Amino acid sequence: MFNIFKKNKNEEDNVVEVKSPFIGKCFEVKDIPDEVFASNMMGEGVGFSSKDGILYSPLEGEIIQVFPTKHAVVMRSVEGLEILLHIGIDTVEMKGEGFEAFVNSGAKVKAGDKLISFDLNLINEKAKSNLSPMVITNKEIIEHIEFNYGEVDTNSVIARVKIKK
Amino acid sequence: MIEKNTIIKNETGLHARPAMEVVKEASKFKSDVFLIKNGNSYNAKSIVSIMSAGCIKGDEITIKASGEDENEAVISLVDLIENHIS
Repeated sequence: MFNIFKKNKNEEDNVVEVKSPFIGKCFEVKDIPDEVFASNMMGEGVGFSSKDGILYSPLEGEIIQVFPTKHAVVMRSVEGLEILLHIGIDTVEMKGEGFEAFVNSGAKVKAGDKLISFDLNLINEKAKSNLSPMVITNKEIIEHIEFNYGEVDTNSVIARVKIKK
Repeated sequence: MIEKNTIIKNETGLHARPAMEVVKEASKFKSDVFLIKNGNSYNAKSIVSIMSAGCIKGDEITIKASGEDENEAVISLVDLIENHIS
């Protein structure tokens, strides 16, 4: 399946393994119930459902912004990938209720670090959906990306990204 | 180079969906387009840049464009922000 990523040093040099930012399920972004995310206009996207109500960092990098309502985080990985992590759909309407941030803008993070905790029940009650998209927004630096879907935890590699040299 | 000031009016500010609309609109123009807030300049063609501006309702911002279609770019973006953001 992954024969494009040959196991020789030269080919693997610029391949980034992206870990799952949620514990739960990973699925194709077209199944996110929001046209803007599902259409993949914003970049290379993937969808998640969460079991434990926690957003984890998918990569080592820096937090560029935790949105004031704490439902979205923008980060840049050490390899230069710019990532939008968005908890739920239309969760901005909750104005931060049920969300707690563990990091601030400028924080340096490692893959698996806790970023945000969120109340799944409250999201189910007040927002459109608890399904969460992750989008790599600077796709111009991506040569190739391949996603792994299914049951995931924070050790699961949900995407392999080959960065242009 | 052209600049115009405006104010964020929608309740939820420039969250993901409106940020995308701004990026989509700005990307139509050849000019360099920036959103300026509190003296910081954000690339209006980058979703990450716009979202990192964290614009909320009531924020005073400036749209700045520089290039051959700078007039249209500024008018179009200010119109979008003032009248067409959900």
